[in-house]
Amino acid sequence: MNYMPGTASLIEDIDKKHLVLLRDGRTLIGILRSIDQFANLVLHQTVERIHVGKKFGDIPRGIFVVRGENVVLLGEVDLDKECDQILQRVSIEEILEEQRTEQQAKQESERLKLQAVKERGLSIPKADTLDDF
Amino acid sequence: MFRFQSFDDDCTLEEEEGLVEEEDEIDQFNDDTFGAGAIDDDWQEEHARLAELDELVRDGPPGPADASSGDLTPAGSNANPSALPPPSSSSRLYPDIDERAGGDLAESLTRLILGSDPAIAGVGTASSDRSHFPPKLSSQAPHLSALSGQSLMRSYQHHQHLLHRGPAPLSQINSHSIWENSMGFGPVNSGLVNQKEDKTLMSIIKEVGLPNRPPTLSREEGRDLSERVPPPRSSSPVIGSPPVRAVPIGTPPKQPMSQVLNQQNNHPSAIHVRASVPLRYPPPFPERLSPNNLLSIANSPLSHPPFPAGVGPVLSQIQRAQLLNSQVGQFQRGPAPPLLQGGVGGFRPFFGQSGPRMGPHGPPLGHTPIRHNTTHLHPQHRRMLNQRMQNRGSGDHVGGRGVGDRKNRDPYSNLMTQREKEWVARIQMMQLQSTDPYLDDYYYQNYYEKMEKRQERDRDNRKEHTTKLITPQVAKLEHTYRPVQFAGSLGKLTVSSVNNPRKMIDAVVTTRSDDEEKREKQVWNKRRQILYTVEKMYSLLLEVQDFEKKFLQTPEHQRDALLEQHKTHTLQLYNSLREKEWDDRVSDEQCLMIMSVRKGKRLISRLLPFLPQPQAAAVVMGIARNLPALAKKDKQDQVLCWLVEPVTAVIQSMSSTSLTDLLQELQGREGQLPLVLQNKFGVTLLYLILSEGERMQSSDPNCQLMDDNRWTELVFSVTRELLKVPSSALSSPLFTPPNLVSLFSRYVDRQRLELLQEKLQITSLSR
Repeated sequence: MNYMPGTASLIEDIDKKHLVLLRDGRTLIGILRSIDQFANLVLHQTVERIHVGKKFGDIPRGIFVVRGENVVLLGEVDLDKECDQILQRVSIEEILEEQRTEQQAKQESERLKLQAVKERGLSIPKADTLDDF
Repeated sequence: MFRFQSFDDDCTLEEEEGLVEEEDEIDQFNDDTFGAGAIDDDWQEEHARLAELDELVRDGPPGPADASSGDLTPAGSNANPSALPPPSSSSRLYPDIDERAGGDLAESLTRLILGSDPAIAGVGTASSDRSHFPPKLSSQAPHLSALSGQSLMRSYQHHQHLLHRGPAPLSQINSHSIWENSMGFGPVNSGLVNQKEDKTLMSIIKEVGLPNRPPTLSREEGRDLSERVPPPRSSSPVIGSPPVRAVPIGTPPKQPMSQVLNQQNNHPSAIHVRASVPLRYPPPFPERLSPNNLLSIANSPLSHPPFPAGVGPVLSQIQRAQLLNSQVGQFQRGPAPPLLQGGVGGFRPFFGQSGPRMGPHGPPLGHTPIRHNTTHLHPQHRRMLNQRMQNRGSGDHVGGRGVGDRKNRDPYSNLMTQREKEWVARIQMMQLQSTDPYLDDYYYQNYYEKMEKRQERDRDNRKEHTTKLITPQVAKLEHTYRPVQFAGSLGKLTVSSVNNPRKMIDAVVTTRSDDEEKREKQVWNKRRQILYTVEKMYSLLLEVQDFEKKFLQTPEHQRDALLEQHKTHTLQLYNSLREKEWDDRVSDEQCLMIMSVRKGKRLISRLLPFLPQPQAAAVVMGIARNLPALAKKDKQDQVLCWLVEPVTAVIQSMSSTSLTDLLQELQGREGQLPLVLQNKFGVTLLYLILSEGERMQSSDPNCQLMDDNRWTELVFSVTRELLKVPSSALSSPLFTPPNLVSLFSRYVDRQRLELLQEKLQITSLSR
């Protein structure tokens, strides 16, 4: 039954497994159970998936109620395709460790870059100061 | 009347043991999240069990009644110390429990929830079987709902045996699983099979556990709530606000009880649903409430603020689960159960494939493929959707079944009821209503118009695509609200509602006039000034562009006025470009200023088609005159080429004299031409001019182009320049008009011609 023909609506997606990307960068995978007009979501049997490189780890979270404004995007997970994954699944501890390492590495490189730039007397303008019409 | 029915002493203990030993079988992950509720089960088994119960029920109330009352005692005694709130607590929810006369309370609860979601009832009955669960539960919601549900059942159906009914064991599991963590629930099967007796209030209390929750209902309150609908919303008085509805918008209509009873009687074994579904009689209220309503019901009797926030929605959750399942039960009498199982997940493909089959099955299924609330769709759009629908309907027949089967396994499906989906859809559709579709959804309208035109072009014989677009419009309503004033009173009434929020300050909006804006321009930087000018011109331009559409829509007598308006706008547009004194010359300064911004260039390119010929020609002249400067400014944007199309149109409508003039302008100053040639647009423009000249000459022998020597002179100089300029400095044009060769052949000798050809070819190839 087509609820809203010609529109983008989540009604058709209910009771299907979805991957939701949040504004804070988290990736949640859960079955979409309920929605409302603000696209607030109720996710069931949610799992927070952390990706680092080619590995990923799942943290079971239970039921999530996500406020609509915090969703960047979401999409249905193809259950068939989900089975054959290139990524390697690891334990939660391991993936958290990997994530920490990755974060540190990124921070380090940022710091070095900034230092190098400063040494050369340049300055990288922040996005908000650029004049754009 | 409600009577506490005791359980056998043994049963309770048995149950607990039974539960404990089967704990291991439960999926731990599931348990962590939801408690032991979610267990898959076989519907056949379920059906058999319930069929047995059915017969048991028919044996008569007394028997089961005694059993359940017996049940209550041990449960009550267990629960009392831990579960019951201290009597001093203002909200003694279950005062009757001690006396085994909780019927009153239950009754009042029943009445309270009378106008409410049947899911509540469902939940109540569902949870009533959980007498044997230890009172570890902290959540009160299921408890409340259980109570109310129970009472509801009783009062409405006057079937005490219902209490005994091992109500949808799995639905119970569903409903309870969400709040009862590690209750050590055994698999439903065992529990249900053993526990056929009714759960009483005591048992419910025991399992739910009352300690920290203020009871949600007092006796008195309960009693008063007979036949009560949710209390009126505490909103403003009717003045200026939407009518306060006792039942919030979106509440599904109530259906007469008789219908419900009939359904029950006719289909007592409507249990062929997934184990997860309450395999029992449909609830007394097949109607469902919107989430709002559920919440309001849940919260209205709650006089105590510290009620946990989670209760409301949680209530709804259970209710919905129950309701959903029960509703699912109603659909049993149709196609095979496997297809229907799993709720909406299974329904969706089901609907898609066998819409016609579901015809007789009641309101929720009787939807047309295109819903009525999509009347505001563009007709073209609707046609496409219909096509898509047909394709889907015919194509997916096989595929859907597989999916449906898979969905059957999902015990949590259909938590969001059909009604709720419709509710959300309706809200979303309401947002699409517009009084002026061209204003609100310009791109949508344009897109479908273009599609229509395209289709019309492709299939000229199909007349149906040439229908004029008539979008239904919602009438514009006057929404000005004037605050109510009473004569002789001081000030205005401070009533506010959603639709007329209170005016705190009588602020008057004053817009700064343009003069004041200009006065401040020293503060602005030049760029912003330019942009400001461009923006103003744009709004004029948009008016001009929309003129045609408006013209078609205005009634006859207003058309003249509209025409006048249009002319004024156009004039204004041109005026903003031209020199102050000269009518036929475009102000270089102004033009340059505008064209220095990308937006300005775009503006000019859109503007040109609307200007009358002489004025458009003047603009193009201005462009040609200032081309080097423009080219320099355009280095970063590279968007001068937007102008090619409109300029082409203008050139082609130019007279020969003006064409000559244009060519002259292009070469105006010394050294301008090489610069022109360096720029892609410049080269293109040059070629356009030359090609147009050639076309004139070749097509019309009486053309005035050759009347004076200017044209010839100019072409000579162009050719000279072209030959002189190194290839590297020659930019490739957007396109090379084909008749250039013939043009040059008139003016240059063979050798030069060949050279030119070579150069031009090179340039055209290097594009």
